[in-house]
Amino acid sequence: MESVIRILKNANKEQLLKKTLEKVHDNQELCNSFVTIMDNAKLNPESDSVLSNIPYVLKDNYSTKGILTTGSSNTLKDYIPPFSSTVYEKLSLAGAIMVAKSVMDEFGMGGTGLTGHTGIVRNPWDTSLIAGGSSAGSAASVAAGVVPFAIGSDTGDSVRKPAAHCGIVGYKPTYGMISRWGLLPFASSLDHVGVFARTVSDVAIVVDVLKGKDEKDMTTWDSSNINLEAHLNDSVNGKKLFYFKELCDISFYENPSDDLKKVIEEFNNTINVIKRIGIDVVEESFPKELLDAIPSVYTCISCAEATSNMSNLTGIIFGPRETGNINEMIINHRTLNFSSLIKRRFIIGSYVLQRENQEKYFVNALRVRNRIVRLMKEKFNNYDGLILPCSASHAPKIHGTTDVIRQDLATLENHMAIGNFGGFPSITIPNGMIDGLPIGVNITGNIYDDENVLAIASHIADSMPYEGQIAGDNK
Amino acid sequence: MDFTKDLVDKFAKDLLIGLTPEENKMVLDEFKVIESGMDKIANIPNISEEDVMTHPLEYDNVSLRDDLSVRELSTEEVLQNAKCKTEEEIIVPKVVM
Amino acid sequence: MKLIPTIGIEMHCEMKSFTKVFSPARNTYSKHANNHVSEIDIALPGILPSLNKECIRKSILMASILHCKLPQYIYFDRKNYYYPDLPKGYQITQSHEPIGVNGYIDVPYNDGVLRVDIHDIHLEEDTAKIEHLDTESLINYNRAGVPLLELVTDPVFHSKEEVIAFLEYIRSIYQYTDISEADIRKGQIRCDVNISVGEEGGPFGTRVEIKGVDSFSNIQKVIDIEVKRQMDLINDGKSSSIEQETRRFDEANNRTIRMRGKVDAIDYKYFVEPNIPKIKLDEELVKEITSNIVELPLSRMTRYKDLGINDDVVKVLVRDRKISDYYDEVLKCSVDPIVLSNYVATNIMGYLSKKNIGIQEFKIEPKDLGLLLNKLQKKEISSKQAKEIFEATLNGDTTILKELDNTATQNSNTEELDGIVSNIIKNSPKQVEDYKNGRTNLFNYFVGQVMKETKGSANPEIVKDIISKYLN
Repeated sequence: MESVIRILKNANKEQLLKKTLEKVHDNQELCNSFVTIMDNAKLNPESDSVLSNIPYVLKDNYSTKGILTTGSSNTLKDYIPPFSSTVYEKLSLAGAIMVAKSVMDEFGMGGTGLTGHTGIVRNPWDTSLIAGGSSAGSAASVAAGVVPFAIGSDTGDSVRKPAAHCGIVGYKPTYGMISRWGLLPFASSLDHVGVFARTVSDVAIVVDVLKGKDEKDMTTWDSSNINLEAHLNDSVNGKKLFYFKELCDISFYENPSDDLKKVIEEFNNTINVIKRIGIDVVEESFPKELLDAIPSVYTCISCAEATSNMSNLTGIIFGPRETGNINEMIINHRTLNFSSLIKRRFIIGSYVLQRENQEKYFVNALRVRNRIVRLMKEKFNNYDGLILPCSASHAPKIHGTTDVIRQDLATLENHMAIGNFGGFPSITIPNGMIDGLPIGVNITGNIYDDENVLAIASHIADSMPYEGQIAGDNK
Repeated sequence: MDFTKDLVDKFAKDLLIGLTPEENKMVLDEFKVIESGMDKIANIPNISEEDVMTHPLEYDNVSLRDDLSVRELSTEEVLQNAKCKTEEEIIVPKVVM
Repeated sequence: MKLIPTIGIEMHCEMKSFTKVFSPARNTYSKHANNHVSEIDIALPGILPSLNKECIRKSILMASILHCKLPQYIYFDRKNYYYPDLPKGYQITQSHEPIGVNGYIDVPYNDGVLRVDIHDIHLEEDTAKIEHLDTESLINYNRAGVPLLELVTDPVFHSKEEVIAFLEYIRSIYQYTDISEADIRKGQIRCDVNISVGEEGGPFGTRVEIKGVDSFSNIQKVIDIEVKRQMDLINDGKSSSIEQETRRFDEANNRTIRMRGKVDAIDYKYFVEPNIPKIKLDEELVKEITSNIVELPLSRMTRYKDLGINDDVVKVLVRDRKISDYYDEVLKCSVDPIVLSNYVATNIMGYLSKKNIGIQEFKIEPKDLGLLLNKLQKKEISSKQAKEIFEATLNGDTTILKELDNTATQNSNTEELDGIVSNIIKNSPKQVEDYKNGRTNLFNYFVGQVMKETKGSANPEIVKDIISKYLN
């Protein structure tokens, strides 16, 4: 589908900005998507850049020099960074206009959009539903048609899951393709910059601007030979995708819910569509014990890294200064300003790293991660990508949704973390409706194979009627 | 390992965090889930022989920073978010050794 | 039964570099606080480490000098703990794979050599500096992120003399190689000292660690105090009350104080730093780094002794690499090595210490000193002239030195000197008569007159010959 950004290129940018800011306020009213709204945003001198004067929303875990950056946490409720993230710098340089900074789960540690310090984020399709998290406000604002694109971050599925719940496209490229400098970390070995838009073309255009080796992030690599947008129309005839039988065959579930049945039905419809455009889709098996292990491995690694990453939050150099002697002061800072969820994650993270536990918990988790990634790469020798439903249902109700760790075995809710384990390029596109609410399908390919993955996603999206949809527009 | 309320409180204290009784209970419940998950992991066939994955990518050549150019914050920027400070330093309650 | 102490050392030394190890802020001293700090050094949210190539080079260099095994991949770990001087709440260090392991170094000791086994050497970052006031503390982050090399020995020392010989030698290697200034007065060296006392030939006793000792004299004191404390306990039959613990030096009261026991030992929850990829160690790079290792003091000492220089002078020459380099430069002008060694150790060192300056501020270039000593050796100038030229040059008058090749050589022109002597004899009839009447000490009067006439440049031997010819 044609890029929204390209269409807007010739729009009256002054009117666009004015209208966008109005929509920002409407969306704030409806969904509570934003921590900060840039009411004084100004037009840049118009340039040749494809993003010149294109408005966008930035997740509030990207550092913006001189502009509040909270990570949706009370620990940073008044923090003004003296430096900018590379993502923000690149977008500014390209002339894009940041119109708001969006609400997220505190420091990205959650999948609901309900734990930000400024309140819960609602889904623009139905405000009694979650938008999904952690990049909740970014997803909700793109889904509502406020902006043509928004920046998120993805540690487990924090871009790709809310994209599915909001009926839009969410893409995280290969690890290290976009610099994480200035991105408030959750778990450094799993954190990815990601982009939301309503079309595959738009995420390609934005990532083409954002990507590149950055001397401030040692994990970035030279991607100058990659041009995502240029390859979107490459032929996908003869490409091969696979899916896990263990997750997509309804007979593997004991008591499948009606929603799950509908999700799988839509998935099968999508597969038929894909086959019709010349892409082969094959059912494959993956060790059940590894699929079952994904949530534990993810919890273990992400909590361990998070505990360490957030040890700088003491209220000494930044953040609210609490009272007491030096020790009490730090304890009070962390006790009073972290949400309950975060505190629990820290304790788990610290526990799995303890000397006497590290082998059984943390190191074993790193071994399972390695095995999963190794087996996936073996599959990628024969396939261009893995395709799976993003979730077992449409977006769940706000009421009754929690982020408590439960005994989750292999379900459709956890598998997208594979993309983070391996640093794989991974994209969600909308593939259907259940009870009038959007659902999505995810395609994950091998590292550095982003052009191929996006071309496949683009062709698939083109052959279905959901790409480009806006919540609230009558279909 | 037997998880107890006291143990959870000790873990919290090591992290300089205080927990409410409800939070403590939630951690205890979550520990049970994690423990059973990790037991399953430990029982995955030949898992101890598997390599440990600490980074998602391997790099042929990592560029290190040349020891040439300087990038610093001004003292004002260093202190701008600190609540207690002198003209040049950050003040904290007396640190006792 | 004889009790002996066994000592191991962890030596932390600040590395010399232009910028810090994981940030591009300056690694330097400042009279102001918090003016050499980047976002990284104060752990602002979203920062990532950026590894300094020079620090890796110097670490590889030192690991090679210590004959350590280098790793296949260089990577780092996080050491997690909370302290107000540690902004990130973790220190980036090397725990799983230090830059060098299982090495050794030969240290000059008494008149021989002491081989010290090295457990490992690794690269890490320093913490911020805390100034303690009465009711509050002030934090200065200039030091946060300064590169540190931590060198860990096996428990191989049995006396404080051995420990000090080792520390002095490592310090001189750091200075020779320009890896560190290793300046103790600037607090660049800090040591943890592990001490146990046990029966000679028997198993080690219980190990006690004394943390953060900051000068060599304090290290000697700590060893004395802690060895005595443990020996006293053992001799009193209370060896069981020696606990595996961490203590610190209480300088004011000349004692060690318990900080924490083994059960309270901090669990640092080490794990691999995910933001620094594993760096494959390039053999070519190692070759390049190690091919340029400067000649180390022990090798220089051996070489100097072989030249016949006496031990005390050798020690003076190698104490500072710049002195030794200066000596070697002058030596290239084929001067007598022993004369030169004495000249450097006495005249030059005396001058430097009188002026309180270093050899780099010394105004006589090695080639000029070589020239001077050569002329002296060949008796082309007198030692008095040499001394005058030396002093004039140091006082800023370099003209004489520059003309040394031409004008300052001794006048040995017999014909010319004959004319001068003949004139003086002619104009001194009284002195000639007195001489002939037996006042032979007047001979020196005539020499003096010639010297005055020639401004001291006449060759005295030739002058004496000519005067004798006229008078006798």
